[in-house]
This record gives sequence, structure tokens and C-alpha cells, in this order.
Amino acid sequence: MTELMHTPLFGLTLTLLAYQCAMWAYTRSGKMAMLHPTISGAVLIAVALKALQLDYFAYYQDINWLNFLLGPATVALAVPLYRQLPLLRELAGPLLVTLFFGATFACASALLLAWWLGATQETLLSLMTKSITTPIAITVTEEIGGITSVAVGSVILTGVAGITTISWLFERLNIRDDRLWGFCLGLAAHAIGTSRAFERSPVAGAFASLALCLTGAFTALFVPLAVSWFA
Amino acid sequence: MLAGFLTLFACQLAGEWLQRVLGLPLPGQVLGMFLLFILLCVRGALRDDAVPEGLSQGSQRLIELLPMLLMAPAAGVFFLGAGFADQWPGFIAAVSVGTVLTMIACGLLLKMLTRGRKQGHD
Repeated sequence: MTELMHTPLFGLTLTLLAYQCAMWAYTRSGKMAMLHPTISGAVLIAVALKALQLDYFAYYQDINWLNFLLGPATVALAVPLYRQLPLLRELAGPLLVTLFFGATFACASALLLAWWLGATQETLLSLMTKSITTPIAITVTEEIGGITSVAVGSVILTGVAGITTISWLFERLNIRDDRLWGFCLGLAAHAIGTSRAFERSPVAGAFASLALCLTGAFTALFVPLAVSWFA
Repeated sequence: MLAGFLTLFACQLAGEWLQRVLGLPLPGQVLGMFLLFILLCVRGALRDDAVPEGLSQGSQRLIELLPMLLMAPAAGVFFLGAGFADQWPGFIAAVSVGTVLTMIACGLLLKMLTRGRKQGHD
């Protein structure tokens, strides 16, 4: 049996089982942000690995081919982006200005805060992609030499921070236009924010997807270049 | 759907090739995403057509898989080891305070830039 536990088949079965359980809990809870399948599923996997005394890195190697699918999944994001094209044209100027400013701000604020609290260079490199969607974040982080797990963790927790605070925040800021609401959430909190925006309204969802794709593209372009200039 | 996968894989392959030939600091799949986006725009301009059915399905399936694909890398956060212990304060501050500040800044900027424009009109 121990032999079987070190096979890709076992790793994949464990992953799918964790996903099913996570999805069930997420749906049953009425889509509570803290129970998003990527978070709860990751916790389940971690608990299972600890309980079975399995090595995380060996498990990760076993299911490594799953990560291959992140490549075409990233390419696939071009399709929703293309569908949002007419929406983009309407508010192109303000959205692009906010995009450049916001994506830079997300990156810079994370770097400054973490640096101020004593984070190492490796951690800083892994935080630069916190506001972009995970498949792009993973590839960019590998490119610039950060730690993938930290990068994914920061992306997920950023998403959670975004969706748990936005309603309260934007109520205080008196921002009620669904287009602005969705765009800011998609920009700061990527896919997790986007799914939350779709719950508010289709318009908010569309603007969030737009921000998600644009922030991902802009950060993927800008971060590796910035790192190669400064490092 | 397989026709869609062919398009996605071919775009990624072309992206990987471009990255190597031009020595770009961008990941191949991100270039592939741009290539596919440009292809769709050109196709749309020439034929005024919607996204092909196969591609639409294929990309939908892959995007739906994303939460599952991301679980295993996310689980790694629990196995960073003792070396990461002193990194947590910076990490938590960056993802929580940083994100809230980003949303406030973007919200206010976008509100200012769109002032005077009414819903859907310039």
C-alpha cells in the first residue's frame, strides 16, 4: 500500500477527492469566501498529507503533469477577454489609466509593506504577482525566481481579502456603479473577485473579467522586465 | 472541443517558440494568450463572427478546471518550513492591507476619471 501511495494515480485521486469535498462544502455554505475550493481543497490536501505522513514535494512531483494544463488554461483566458472587447471600448481611457495605476499600486504596496516588515528578497519576488490570476502568477514567479507556493498562497489570500471587504469599503466610498465595482474587484482580486462580481450583476462580472485579463497581461509584461532591470 | 484544444495548444506552442527566438522575459503561455486574442480580433474583423464553438467549449472547460489545478500548489503554503516563519508578518500585511489599499485607490481614481459620464454614454 505504501508503494501505491507514491504513484501519480494516488496523488490524482487524493486531489480529485479533496476537490469534490471542497466543492461540496463551498456550495453548501452558500459560497462563503473562506471556503473557496482552492483554499479549502488546499487545506484538505495538507491535512491528508500530514495524516498519511507523505512528503509534499513527492506528492507535487506525482501530480506535476496536472500543472501542464495551466499553460493552455492561460491561453484560454483570451476567449473571455475577447468577449469583453465592446465593453472595454466604451470606457477605454479611464479603465486603462486605472489599470496601469492599479496594477503598479498593487505590486508596489505589497512590496513596500512586506519589505518594511522584514521580508526576504525571495518572499518579495513571490509577492509581486499577488493581484493576478494564478496561472499567470505561477509562470511569472517561476520566471523571476520566486517561490511558487508563496506566490499561489498570496494570490489566494489576496482574493479572499478582496471579496470579504469590498462591499463594506465601496459603500463607505459611495461607489455604486457596477462597472466600477466590478473593475476594481477584478483588478485587485483576480478570478476570486471576478466570481464574486458575477454574483452582484452580469455587468460587474464582465468588468471584473476584463480587469482580471488586463491586469494579468500587464503584470506579466511589466514584472519580469522590472525585475530584470533592478535585479 | 478537441478542435478548441488544438487551437489552444498551437497558440501556446507558438508563444513558447516566440519566447525562445526573441529571448523575451514573458512566459510562453502568456504570449500564447496574446496571440490567440489577436487571432480572434482579426477573425472578428474579417468575418464579424463569434468565437468558434469548439474553442469556446475547450476554453470554458479549462477555465472551469482552474480551482482544482490551483489546489496542489496552494497546499504548498503549509509546507514552507521553519525558514518561512519570520516572513509571515510581511506576507499577511501585503495581501490584506495591500489589497484593501489597492481597491480604495483604484475605486477613487476610476470614480474621478468617470465623473460626468453617465451610464454607457460619453
